[in-house]
Amino acid sequence: MKDEQLRQTGIGAVGDVPWGTHFFLFHETNQDLIDACIPYFQAGLETQELCIWAIADPLTEEEVRYCLKHAIPGFEDHFEKRNIEIVRGREWYMTGDDLDLEKVTRGWKQKMDRALNGGYAGLRLSADTAWLDKRDWKAFCEYEKEVNDSIVDAPMLALCTYPLPGSAAAEILDVTRTHQFALARRNKQWEVVETSELKQAKAEILRLNNNLERRVMERTSELMAANEELRRQMEERQRAEEALRTSQAELAHVTRVTAMGELAASIVHEVTQPLTGIVTNGNACLHWLAGAPPNVEKARGAVERIIRDSNRASEVIHDIRSLVKKTPPHREDVDLNDLIYRTLALANGEMTRDQVELQTELAVGLPSVLGDRVQLQQVLLNLIMNAIESMRSISGRRLLMIRSEMRGPESVTVSVRDSGVGIDPQKAAHLFDAFFTSKPQGMGMGLSICRNIISAHGGQLSNVTSAGPGATFEFTLPVQVVKSENVDVATA
Amino acid sequence: MWRQRDAPATHGGPTNETIFLIDDDISVREGLAALIESMDLPVRAFGSATEFLGAALMEAEGCIVLDVDMPGMNGLDLQREMNAAGIPLPIIFLTGHGDIPMTVQALKAGAVHFLTKPVQEDDLSAAIRQALETGRQVRSERAEVRTLRQRFDSLAPRERQVMRLVASGRLNKQIAYELGTSERTIKLYRGQVMRKMCADSLADLVKQAQKLNVT
Repeated sequence: MKDEQLRQTGIGAVGDVPWGTHFFLFHETNQDLIDACIPYFQAGLETQELCIWAIADPLTEEEVRYCLKHAIPGFEDHFEKRNIEIVRGREWYMTGDDLDLEKVTRGWKQKMDRALNGGYAGLRLSADTAWLDKRDWKAFCEYEKEVNDSIVDAPMLALCTYPLPGSAAAEILDVTRTHQFALARRNKQWEVVETSELKQAKAEILRLNNNLERRVMERTSELMAANEELRRQMEERQRAEEALRTSQAELAHVTRVTAMGELAASIVHEVTQPLTGIVTNGNACLHWLAGAPPNVEKARGAVERIIRDSNRASEVIHDIRSLVKKTPPHREDVDLNDLIYRTLALANGEMTRDQVELQTELAVGLPSVLGDRVQLQQVLLNLIMNAIESMRSISGRRLLMIRSEMRGPESVTVSVRDSGVGIDPQKAAHLFDAFFTSKPQGMGMGLSICRNIISAHGGQLSNVTSAGPGATFEFTLPVQVVKSENVDVATA
Repeated sequence: MWRQRDAPATHGGPTNETIFLIDDDISVREGLAALIESMDLPVRAFGSATEFLGAALMEAEGCIVLDVDMPGMNGLDLQREMNAAGIPLPIIFLTGHGDIPMTVQALKAGAVHFLTKPVQEDDLSAAIRQALETGRQVRSERAEVRTLRQRFDSLAPRERQVMRLVASGRLNKQIAYELGTSERTIKLYRGQVMRKMCADSLADLVKQAQKLNVT
C-alpha cells in the first residue's frame, strides 16, 4: 500500500510507516545501532524531514558523523544546513544528574516548530537511552507513553533505541508496552515485533476493513437488487402499458363492434316484424285465392295488410337514415398523417396479437384536409381492421402498408395495403354494396359506409387491384373541401 | 299447402281445437292469424298475455302460438302461469334473432315447439300439427286419469286398501294376514276391485294404480 501519508523508515524490515509511528529497537552492539540508524536518517534527509539523533555513550558525535558522511551522499551539506542535528542524549534529557522530562518535551516542541516553520515535511528523531539511570526508569516509561499518545497526530517519527545487554526482562516488557512495535536484531536480521496493542489495532483495522468490505458487498448487492427490482418494475410497467394499449385498442374495437351489433339487432328486429306480417299475409292470400271459389274478400284484406306492413318496413329504414342524418356535420383541419398514427395506435393491440408487420410511408409536409376527424378515422380504422382480418388466415408474412402521398397539387391519397387473402375478382364489383360481406359475422355495412363518408368529403374510396397477394384500398381527398357540403353518410 | 285437417282427435268426433295466437305486434299477429285462418284452422288472436288469461280458457283445446318477447307479461311469464294453473295447452314459441337467452329459458321450462321470425308457412303448419297432437295426447291421458279416478273413488275403503296392496305386489295370503282376515275374503274384495276398475288383468290394475299414483 503506497500512500502519501506513509514515510519510508529506510529499515527494510519495517518498511513504510505512517506519521506518528513510535517504535524502538534493541541493539546488541553499536554497529547494530548504526546499521539501523543510518538508513533511517538517510530516508529522512531524502524526504525533506528534519532529523534529530540523540546519541548516547559510548557513541560520540564524531563517530556518528563519520559513519553518516560515508554512508549518505551530501551529508556534510545537510549537516551544514542543520537538516540533521546530532545531540547528546544525556544533555538532551538531563539537567545536571536529574531526568528533566519537561525540558525534553519543551525541546521536542521547539524542534517540531522548527521543522514546521522551516519548510520540512516533518520531524524524524532517534534517541538512545543508554545513559538512562535505573532510578528514572519508571518516570521515563510514563514519558514514553505520553510520547506515544502525543506523537500519534503529529508529522513525526520516533525511533527509540535501547541497549539490549543492559536491559532486564521487565524493562524490555515496559519498552514493548510503551511503543507501537519493536525492532530486534536476531540472527543478524532485523525483525519486527509487534506489540499486542498494535496487533489488536491491526486486527481491529482488518476487522473494520472486512466489515467495511462486507458492508460494501452487502450494499452492492442491495444496490444490485434494487437495480434488478427497478428493472423488473420498468419491465412490469412496460408490460402494463402494453396491456393498456391493447385493451384500449380492444375497447375501441369492441365499442365499434358493439355499436354496430346493437344497431344491427335493432334493425333486424324492427324490420323482421313487418316482414313476418308480409310473408304470412302473402301466404294466406295465396290460400284464399286458390280456394274454390277463391275468397277474394279475405285475399284483399291480406294484400292491404301486406301494403301496410311494407310501408312500416320503409318507415323503419327511413328512421335509420334520419337518425344518421342527425349527426351534425363537423368540419375541421385534419392532418391525415397524425390521424393515421392515432388510428394505428387503436389497432396496435390487434396488430401485435396477429403478428402484423407495419410499414408506413407518410409524405412529409402533407397539407391538411377539411373534414370530420371522427368519420375519417372511422374509415381508416375500418380499412385497417379489414386488412388485419384478411391476413388472419394466411400463414406467410403479414404485412400492413400505409402510405400517404400527394398525387396531384390538390389532393391527398391514403392507401392501405395488406398481404392477406385478397379479393375474389367476381365479388370485387359488389365490395361497396350495402349488406355485401365476405365475413361470417359481417354486417356488410363497413365499406359501404366508408365510401359514403369519403364521398361526402368530396373524395373517392376505391379498391385498387394490385399485383401480388393481398388487397389495396385507397382514398383520395381534396386539399380544399367545400365548406357548405353536409355529411350525409346514408344518402351520399 | 294445408288443405284439410290431418290427424283426427284421439277420442274422435268434432273437436273444439283452437289456435290461440298471442303477439303484441300487429303485423305479426294479423299476418299469422290470417295464415292460420287460411289453413282452415280456428284461430283466436290476443294482443297480450294478460288479455289471453282474461279469457279464462281452462278447458280450452288446441295450442298456443306465443311471442317470447312482449312488453308486460312476456311469453316465459305466461308459460310459467299456465304450468302453475295446470292449463295443458302446448305452446309454440315465436322467437326472433335477439331472443336466444329467452329461448333457452323457454326450452328449460319444457317448451318443445319453436318458430323463428319471419315465419315460414311450412314451419308454421308443421309446428301447429305437432303441437295439436301433443295437446291431444295430454288431453287423452288426462281424461283417462279422470275416468280412473272416478272408478277409484267408487271403491269401498276396504277395496281401496286391497287394491293398493295388490298393486304393490302382495300375495292374497299376505294381504289377508295384514288386514287380519281370511284369504278367501281377500279374493272376494279383489274380484270386486277388478270389476269396478274395469281392469281385465292384474297387469292392467297395476298400471291403473300407477297412473292414479296410489301404490
